[in-house]
Amino acid sequence: MKVVVSRSGGFAGIRTTWEVQVDEQPDRSSWAELLDALPWDEVSETAPQPDRYVYRIRCAPHEVVLGEQQVCGPWQKLIDRVRGVNDEL
Amino acid sequence: MRDIPIRDLRAAAHPSPAHPGARGAAEPVRGRLDRAVSDAGGLERLPGRLVRREGQPPGADPAVTEAWEGLGYTHSLFWNMFERDSIDDQGLTLEATVHYGRNYDNAFWDGERMVFGDGDGQVFNRFTSSLTVIGHELTHGVTQFTANLAYEGQSGAINESLSDVFGSLVEQHSRGQSAAEAGWLIGEGLFTDQVQGVALRSLKAPGTAYNDDVLGKDPQPAHLSGYIETEDDNGGVHLNSGIPNRAFYLVATALGGNAWDTAGRIWFDTLTSGTLPRTVDFAGFARATSRAAVTRYGAGSREHDAVIAGWSAVGLGGGLGAGSVARSGIPPVRPSVSGRAVVDPGSHPE
Ligand SMILES: [Zn+2]
Repeated sequence: MKVVVSRSGGFAGIRTTWEVQVDEQPDRSSWAELLDALPWDEVSETAPQPDRYVYRIRCAPHEVVLGEQQVCGPWQKLIDRVRGVNDEL
Repeated sequence: MRDIPIRDLRAAAHPSPAHPGARGAAEPVRGRLDRAVSDAGGLERLPGRLVRREGQPPGADPAVTEAWEGLGYTHSLFWNMFERDSIDDQGLTLEATVHYGRNYDNAFWDGERMVFGDGDGQVFNRFTSSLTVIGHELTHGVTQFTANLAYEGQSGAINESLSDVFGSLVEQHSRGQSAAEAGWLIGEGLFTDQVQGVALRSLKAPGTAYNDDVLGKDPQPAHLSGYIETEDDNGGVHLNSGIPNRAFYLVATALGGNAWDTAGRIWFDTLTSGTLPRTVDFAGFARATSRAAVTRYGAGSREHDAVIAGWSAVGLGGGLGAGSVARSGIPPVRPSVSGRAVVDPGSHPE
């Protein structure tokens, strides 16, 4: 199972992508819990704000697009964690 | 649509008596600069702590000073050159927040204020360090209060381009640079020395601002044939803005002199005409600038010809009355396959 976080937009318009192979993580059961608990189907459309980031989060079969201003709670936790694993590499 | 609730919120938060710069006095004083800079202190919470208001002396924080002065320069361009009194034309306080987040590589407009990160120090310096960024963000405010262009797809790329155009003009005006002297860069100096690049974007030559091993190459197209279809970035608003950006650069340099005097005036008239559709596409925006040039300078005028030639050179000349291009100095470009070269006899000037 793979999680991909792709961040586009922002003032610079530069896209950055972070990936994690969940099965290869030492704490994979806690990853699975976090991913299962995400409100994948409860993301509502929001008006984009100029120059804010746009996050696309994929973990098959799920995919959501979130404006930066919608990133909070479990989504924030997931993004921080995915970025954290990538920073260690 | 969200513009209206934000205005209502603002009206509630700042009733007229607390806002003497705009309309507190019996005789309203137009054009009075009113700024407020706050400090988020590294948190992602707005507005942060208010650290400077009008009448207070400068402090030691360079980010606060840069934001403060940038607000002043931006207000000066819009008021002194276009007679627009702040972003709402009613003297609205210009508000900025600095030190947003930790290592935050971005600046944005949240509908009420400009927000600036400090950068991570590896790729980006602090975002207040370029005046073009401050002018860009405030222009998002002007656009919100006028054409309120939908921030996605082609109208979103036009929204972005207008912010780049007026952001660049703020810098040119503050430096007293003519169109020929200007660098036409957005975010010059924002990259650290570790990045191979001079700026984030170039209006003169979209796609050439940076070329770095880590960040890759500046992806902006300079012609409609390079239009990027993508679901990222609200439909590539920061990418495809290169196309209208270059059109503006071509018009401004063809006309010569100070870009804000003529080309800037045409673009400003277009933005504030009240007739620009919220979801206008590139071709519709090109036609609107052509109409604005005709209204102010006359059909077949040098200014009108330059506008037609500028759009023609980026693949958007169709329907603008190409017959008058020959007089303007920029050779006409044959419309590309994707050039939407639709003939619109109604808009022909002659
Ligand atoms: Zn922008």
